[in-house]
Amino acid sequence: MNDTPWRDVIAVDELEKAWVTRVQVERRTIAVYDTPTGIYASLALCTHGGADLCDGYFDDHVIECPLHQGAFDVRDGKPIAAPATRAMRMLEVRVRDGQVQMRI
Amino acid sequence: MTQGITTPLTQALEEGKLTRDELKPLMQRSNVPALRHLALWVLVLAGTTTLITLAWNSWLIWPAMFLQGIMLVHHFSLQHECVHYTVFRTRKLNNIVGQICGLIILLPHRFFRYEHCDHHTYTQLTGKDPELIPMPKTYGEYLFYLTAIPYWQAKFTEISRHAMGRLSDDEKRFIPKEEHAAVFRDARMMLCLYALIFVGMAVTGWWELIWYWIIPLFLGEPVMRFIRMTEHVGRPTVAQMSDNTRTNLVSAPWRFLCWNMNYHAEHHYVPLVPYHTLPRLHEKLRDHVHVEPRGYLGAHIDILSQIQEARA
Repeated sequence: MNDTPWRDVIAVDELEKAWVTRVQVERRTIAVYDTPTGIYASLALCTHGGADLCDGYFDDHVIECPLHQGAFDVRDGKPIAAPATRAMRMLEVRVRDGQVQMRI
Repeated sequence: MTQGITTPLTQALEEGKLTRDELKPLMQRSNVPALRHLALWVLVLAGTTTLITLAWNSWLIWPAMFLQGIMLVHHFSLQHECVHYTVFRTRKLNNIVGQICGLIILLPHRFFRYEHCDHHTYTQLTGKDPELIPMPKTYGEYLFYLTAIPYWQAKFTEISRHAMGRLSDDEKRFIPKEEHAAVFRDARMMLCLYALIFVGMAVTGWWELIWYWIIPLFLGEPVMRFIRMTEHVGRPTVAQMSDNTRTNLVSAPWRFLCWNMNYHAEHHYVPLVPYHTLPRLHEKLRDHVHVEPRGYLGAHIDILSQIQEARA
C-alpha cells in the first residue's frame, strides 16, 4: 500500500483540454494528460531517448515523443509504437475539489 | 534511468522561436491531405507507366523509364514521412504504406525507422549519424556518389547482412535487442518476396516488371542521391540544427514529389509536424534555419564551390 500523502499539483481548469500539460513538482517534470476517459500522469521523459514528452503530440489516449515518434498509451504507460520499447513510469492521480492530486 | 535530452523543438520553444499555441495546430494529423496527395501520386505513376508502354519499341523507352524512375525513387520521401507516422492519422496506415514503399525501393520499413531515429538524434555528427553522407573531397567522389553505386552497394550489403541474422556494431547501437529478430525477419521476407516475383516472371515469361520497375529504379536513384545530398552535405558537421541542415526552396512539382521534405531544417526542428503543414512551419522558422533560395541546384553549387575551395 502506498502511504505517500496526496498533494495538489495543478488545478483541473489549468490543464490544456484534450492535450498534455507540463507540471513541475520540485525537480520532477510530470506530463499530465487530459483524455476522454479522465486524467492520467507520467514522468515526462521518454523511456527511449529521453526527450520531453510534454512537447509531444497527443491524440485520444496516446502520447507521441517529439524526437523519434515512439508512442505510449497514457492509461497504462505501455509502448505502442516503435522505437519505444519500455513502459513509461505512470503516477497515481485523482481529482479533488478541482485539483489534480498525485502521490509523489 | 533514462537521461533527459534537449530536443531542437524544446530548444526552439525555450528560445521563443515558436510557441506551444502556434505549434499545436501545425501538429494535427489528418488523412485527408495525404489521400488527396496519394490519389494524384497514383495518377502520375499511371501516366509514367503509360509512357513506357507507348514507347515500348523505340529508344524513347529510356527517357520514359527515367521519368518512371524519378517517381519510383520518391517513394523514399513517402516512406520517410510514414516512418514519422505523419502522413496519415493512424499508425497502422502509416506502417502499411511505409512497408509498400520500402518494398518498391528495397528499404525494410522497421530497419529504416530505427536508423532514421538515430539520424535525428545525431544529425550530421561524423561517426554517429548513420545516414550521414560525407562531404566529397574531389569532383570524382562527388560524381561517384551521384551514380548511386555506393548507395546500392550499401543497401544490398545491409539487407544481406540482416537476412543472415547479423547486425553491424552501429546497428546494434540503435536497434533495441528485442527488435533484432524482427529486423532479420523483415529482410528475409523482403528477399523472399523479390525471389518469388522473379520466379513468377520466369515461370510466366512475363518480364515486363524489369522495364516498369527494376531498370527505372536504378535509372532514377541518382536523382534521389542528388536530392538527398542537398539536405545536409556541405553544412557544418555540428549538433546545432540551425546550421547543420539545409532547407531548399523548390518548385511545386518537386515539393509534390518529395512530400515537402525540401523544408528539411523545419522537419528536423519538429519531426512531429506532418508534411502538409511544413510550409506553415517554414513561415515561422525561416529566419532561424539555413535556407537555400536557389533550391537543389543552389545547394549543389554550394557543395561544388566548397570542393573547389578545399582543393585551392
